[in-house]
Amino acid sequence: MTDISRKNYILVIDALKCFDCKACMVACKVENNVPNGRWRNWVKPAIGAKGRRVQFQPGQCMQCEEPACAAACPVRATYKRSDGMVVIDPNKCIGCGNCVTGCPYGARFWNPITRLAEKCDYCQHRLVRGEEPACVETCPTKARVFGDLNDPASKASALMKKGRLVQVKNTLIDTKPRIYYTAGTVQLNWPKEPTLPGDVHLPASFWKIKKNNNQ
Amino acid sequence: MSANYNGHITRRQFLQFSGMAAAATLGGPRILHALVPSKGSFTQDQVLRLPSICDMCLNKCGLIARVEKGVIKKLDPHPQFLKSRGMLCARGNAGIKQLYDPDRLKYPLLRKGARGEGRWQRLSWTQALDLATEKLKIIGEKYTRCGVLFMAGSDLQSTFVNRFASVFGSYNIVSHESNCLVSRNRAYLDTFGEMPIPDTLNSKYIIMAGANCFEALITPDSIDMLTAKQKGCKLVVLDPRFTKTAALANEWHAIKPGTDMAFFLALTQVLIEEKRYDEKFVDEKTYGLEQLRDHVRKYTPEWAEKECEIPARDIRRIARELSAAAPAAMVYPGRRTSDYEDSTQIRRSMAIVNALLGNWDCPGGLTAAREIKVKAKPFDPPFYEDNPEERVETGRSLMMFEEEGSFKHARDAVIEGKPYPIKGFFTYKTNPMATGANRRKTIEMINKLDFMITVDITMSDTAWMADLVLPAPSYLERMDPVSALQGSSACGCLVTRDPVVRTLFESRPIFWIVSELANRLALGKFFDFSLEEYRQEQLKDWPQAKKDLKKDGFHYKHSKIYGVYEGKIYKTLSKKIELYNQRYVEKKADPLPVYKAPPSVPEGKFRLVVGRNAYITQGSSTNNALLAELVPENELWLHPKPARNLAITSGDVVEVTSLVGKGRLKVRVTEEIRPDTVYMDSGFGVLSKGLSTVYGKGASIVEILEDRNDIISGNMAMHETFVTVRKIT
Repeated sequence: MTDISRKNYILVIDALKCFDCKACMVACKVENNVPNGRWRNWVKPAIGAKGRRVQFQPGQCMQCEEPACAAACPVRATYKRSDGMVVIDPNKCIGCGNCVTGCPYGARFWNPITRLAEKCDYCQHRLVRGEEPACVETCPTKARVFGDLNDPASKASALMKKGRLVQVKNTLIDTKPRIYYTAGTVQLNWPKEPTLPGDVHLPASFWKIKKNNNQ
Repeated sequence: MSANYNGHITRRQFLQFSGMAAAATLGGPRILHALVPSKGSFTQDQVLRLPSICDMCLNKCGLIARVEKGVIKKLDPHPQFLKSRGMLCARGNAGIKQLYDPDRLKYPLLRKGARGEGRWQRLSWTQALDLATEKLKIIGEKYTRCGVLFMAGSDLQSTFVNRFASVFGSYNIVSHESNCLVSRNRAYLDTFGEMPIPDTLNSKYIIMAGANCFEALITPDSIDMLTAKQKGCKLVVLDPRFTKTAALANEWHAIKPGTDMAFFLALTQVLIEEKRYDEKFVDEKTYGLEQLRDHVRKYTPEWAEKECEIPARDIRRIARELSAAAPAAMVYPGRRTSDYEDSTQIRRSMAIVNALLGNWDCPGGLTAAREIKVKAKPFDPPFYEDNPEERVETGRSLMMFEEEGSFKHARDAVIEGKPYPIKGFFTYKTNPMATGANRRKTIEMINKLDFMITVDITMSDTAWMADLVLPAPSYLERMDPVSALQGSSACGCLVTRDPVVRTLFESRPIFWIVSELANRLALGKFFDFSLEEYRQEQLKDWPQAKKDLKKDGFHYKHSKIYGVYEGKIYKTLSKKIELYNQRYVEKKADPLPVYKAPPSVPEGKFRLVVGRNAYITQGSSTNNALLAELVPENELWLHPKPARNLAITSGDVVEVTSLVGKGRLKVRVTEEIRPDTVYMDSGFGVLSKGLSTVYGKGASIVEILEDRNDIISGNMAMHETFVTVRKIT
């Protein structure tokens, strides 16, 4: 069994290898029993100057270093783990949905069947079996490279070491995403401004304050 | 880690599974395979990883099914299956919903109401087979055995339908291919003597016209093309529509539909005029350069520009670049070529460019088929004296394939009752009601029949029209014979299937069905074997293949990839690659492709072009619940300029009308299509209420498309229809 406590998971995506076949989306949906109309991952087209598609960008939960979703969670069900993943403890989650609107990348959804928040967990159950996440394995061109930064032999480590990587961030907030894209990836226009709904009284300046505190 | 929240397994189960998986890895898949109970129930708590071959489209990619307690939980790609490069696409992943689909046919059904009314009576298999036997007998006696038309899709068991048809006594067997690609095959056979396999992986320059490899996926071509691109291969796309292939290409030219031949004749002209062809190769291996030189003299890039609307300087530049990259350069042969009335000649003009590049049989070019053939169990069909002389559609096109026929022509023959009546129709896993242009004619044809039998997994539109509907299992529940696959430099391989899970409901494989019918018709001696015995016989000279197939579901034969033709003759009349085709002269076809300008689009109308995306397999996948989430309905692509004139905006519902039919669907107003052309996906606007996911969604291409055909091959021509577009809401 894989010991996750010594891992430092990272995902590097080569958007230039993606032709939008959406195998990753269906694979994830089946593997994780994602309900109809919801997705844990995506392929977003980047639109060029002439209003035409120029690139297809796979993505999913960015496993941020400073996750807005974790800050938005009133019961600390969402937290950052030592292996680099942002996870949800389903025993703590109350299904309030604050994290869903709190995520600047729209990576979370509210599962109407479990009535809990849900997102990409890199297919933890597959990792435990020694398999790669479903989206990574099924990809025709292997546009997603998943691996352990603590393992210098992993492909992901090699890519990180090689550098020339970029991030596709929401310009409204820097949550320090941990998904990297290869150079040449187009900046997407993330429309989503993180919001805090409901009765959770966090000041609007929360993100900024937290960032300042960390710096 | 704690118990999961979304129907996942618990930590304890994780441990059990992972322990098992580890043990299984040590033992190797072969041991796992032996765990499949051939009969009886699956033991509880077993987690199995069983190989199979995908059947969600024609590609046949390798997969591994994860089976928990007798239920498939996930289909993963088979990492060692080279043809699919260790991948499984969206449709492959959605295969689980073909297996576990509440819309599946569960038991034999007999039509009770009018055709297409959807009233059925459940029959037992004995009743169903007795009835089918009786009807086949009556039709055979009254109209001869050729009075029954057979049609089977590209399925590993379709060979048994053809075998049954032959021993029953009908040579009226048509395949799906004449609604798809026979004109391409015709063109390349008549140029190179065989259908080449493109080596896209090693190519440096690829022109793609009339093909869309990043959406209409072909393994390994599509994947290899992206890999080649990353290694610096240039991809030039000619398409009236900005497809995903166009989006990722180095160049996209919005060519005027139906003018591809003008472009390729002009390329030929430049290659010859500027002596940029492979002189040694052309001199040694081709026939007809002189005739070709004279023929293309007038087809200059300046002339072509006026036809295809691609600037002459670009045509000239592309010809030069192509030649500089040769022989690792190609015009991609494509797949579905059911587009124009001169479709074979259009592909001939592309094949000729390939020949001039000298790319035959070498890396990055077009490669010959590998030596990998499996035998079918031989048989000698009985002779029926009263049978007519020829197939029913004979003479309706110049050079049809005996083994494929032409659906379009056969349909016309049935409607006309000429040259002789056909009153029976037997279909297996093919859906001409959704793939044959001009659906009203298909309905008219079916209404001429005395009895129609359809074997399929779900109530397709074709099944919906039948008299007797018999349920077949999906690929994950079946044992199949061995079949050979070709695919670029990646393979020659053999594939087969063993059941991954037990057969659901009362579904029965077509092998069993036709064997039972043969027995009842006193033809049992032609089916006096089990599927296992058949496979043993196929593999009797291949001990290694037998082992590999048992373990993985496939076997790779390593054979020569390039230089296969050294010292060999080509299978043409001149025994060379025919730039000038001598047989065409005999058949009264143009020996060199002669350009005829397509009729211009009438004022106020559009040319309708059709196609698909990576989530659609013609008429068979749009009802899949997982794929329907990606594309729930089709849309009409319309350029903003005509959209403005018609006061149409994205999301409006329009009526699209042709001379033969109409359909209503939503509009996508987009710059990604020419202003004189509209586009829609296949697979929607179904008639069958048995397809509960897709019923009522979008419009059907075959309802709107006129049924023209390629003059030479009898292939359907589906881009010859003009339509009007009218806003409804």
